[in-house]
Amino acid sequence: MDSFALQRAESRSLWQDAFRRFRRNGLAVAGLVVIAIFLLMGLIGPWIAPYDFLAQDLFNILKPPTPEHWLGTDELGRDIFSRLLYGARTAALVAFSTTAISLALGILVGTWAGLQGGRVDQFLMWISDQVQAVPGLLLVMLINTALRRPIINWFDRLYEQTRNPFYLNTNWLDFVLVFSALALIAWPGFARLIRGQVLSVSQEDYVLAARALGTTEMQVMLRHVVPNSLGPLVIAVTANMGAAVVLEAGLSFLGLGVQPPNASWGTMLSDSLRLWQSFPHLLIGPAATIGFVQLAFVFLGDGLNDALDPRRVT
Amino acid sequence: MAHYLLVRLLRWASGLVLIVFVTYAMMFYGAGDPVKRMFIDSEEFADADPVIMQILQEKYGLDQPFIVQFRNYVVNLARGDWGNSIRLSVDRPVWEIVKFRLPISMQLGFAATILASLVGIPLGVLAALKHNRWLDRLVVSSVTFVTAIPVFVTAPMLLFFLVLVVDVMDVPYGWNGIFHSDVILPVVVIALGPLPIIVRQARSAVLEVMSQPFVRTARAKGLSERMVIARHMLRPVMTPVVTTLGLQMITLVNGALFVELVFNIPGVGLLTIEGIRTVDYPIIMAVTIIGTLIIFVSNLFVDLIYPLLDPRVRFS
Repeated sequence: MDSFALQRAESRSLWQDAFRRFRRNGLAVAGLVVIAIFLLMGLIGPWIAPYDFLAQDLFNILKPPTPEHWLGTDELGRDIFSRLLYGARTAALVAFSTTAISLALGILVGTWAGLQGGRVDQFLMWISDQVQAVPGLLLVMLINTALRRPIINWFDRLYEQTRNPFYLNTNWLDFVLVFSALALIAWPGFARLIRGQVLSVSQEDYVLAARALGTTEMQVMLRHVVPNSLGPLVIAVTANMGAAVVLEAGLSFLGLGVQPPNASWGTMLSDSLRLWQSFPHLLIGPAATIGFVQLAFVFLGDGLNDALDPRRVT
Repeated sequence: MAHYLLVRLLRWASGLVLIVFVTYAMMFYGAGDPVKRMFIDSEEFADADPVIMQILQEKYGLDQPFIVQFRNYVVNLARGDWGNSIRLSVDRPVWEIVKFRLPISMQLGFAATILASLVGIPLGVLAALKHNRWLDRLVVSSVTFVTAIPVFVTAPMLLFFLVLVVDVMDVPYGWNGIFHSDVILPVVVIALGPLPIIVRQARSAVLEVMSQPFVRTARAKGLSERMVIARHMLRPVMTPVVTTLGLQMITLVNGALFVELVFNIPGVGLLTIEGIRTVDYPIIMAVTIIGTLIIFVSNLFVDLIYPLLDPRVRFS
């Protein structure tokens, strides 16, 4: 009797529960705030930046932090703080698009494999195994090198046809390259996760019960399968965004990602390696930014993990 | 057992054929011919004689159609000939380059693995024994910190700290053998990759074992705490830790790539970067094969050693 009264008084959905658990985790909330600021900077950074990210002040080269240049200037007299803000745009763009593309690919392959089963399933999983059998960073570098020339040619052809100056902009070209390379290595993770969810959730008793009650297949999907597979997916998406930021920075660090003059945290870091002994301020800015954002992603991921695990009773 | 190994090997080989084919195709159709790129990329070659270009292309068989090139490569590979480097180190057999560079990376990786386990396992065990006390909290939070920061940030920051701030060392540069002091910082940075996972695994394994009935029995029969830990707790802890070590080989490979670049160590990681920058087919193919081989062997190692450590698990 008591338990019935209690249930009626406080019926909360999975997401309300998760939100309450998440809110109690101070570090996770802090992580979310930092990531929100990072994404916001990616969006509006160029407008609030004190200088243009390409503006060279040749009278103030390699200056340590001053009131005019909060984080100092680099070897071309460009303001490091402004470049970090533009770098946030690069990182945020890569994080979003890479995750979106690989998620779309993963959903496609994962649901196809999970629903079809049999040969199709085996084949798709074999392919995703092979993608994961090559060290990820090496594969990204290979895809990046392989795609660069064809994409340049493709952009050239598009310009010839349309005479639209947009296609002469090499910045977009770099982005397209990095997105595709990163998305092509990230989809197997999503595909596996979604296939697993499709297989396990559709075996659950509540799905069977819903079917037994005569619910249509569509409603079973929308009301039961999708909401219950969403939790792990949210965690995976967050982790993937963090990983994409690291990989983009890493790729640019190796000189294969976003090319100068475009600003990327990874390029700024690798550029500083030639001069860091005399001008350590070149190193600290980008290194601290990458570290800070990554820490935020880890805290947010841990918080989501704890909050979205329905088996956890609190 | 032999059957199991054979099946695994065959399955891997079939995957490798696909990987080698796709990589070669990506290089051929995507990146383009290394000789042509040498002429396009660098200004000094820009007005070079097309006849020279043609001779070079013929020499490396680059004038052949894709299928012929690929078949030649695979046939030579089966004979143990990895081809000759085209651009990076002109005309030197790739096998010779790999023979020189692989041991360097392997020594670094081996030293890093030993360091990571020597530090990581005791830290994890200690944290678990002091569960929820300040030492545990400290270990867990520093592990989170190390997980979050990527290698290419850790390496320069440690350099900055150790060379400029506390000034205890010079900048390590190049390769002077595994026993030279220049090796310390690179090995530490590589070891930071797998370290957090080792600590976490060891900690959670000890926490799980602590509540097992056999540990309670050991305590009940009056065994000293030290004996309980040494005799009953360490062995079940080893299983997940060894498994993680095997699966973390990939972190080592990725870490080595950046570390070898930052410290200019001529290992396979640096070879990979240089090979890709110069689109040197034979070198790219060689590092791809070595990379997949490392992942395959470490996964196989984990599966083979698991039943030895935990008799409840069997081959399947």
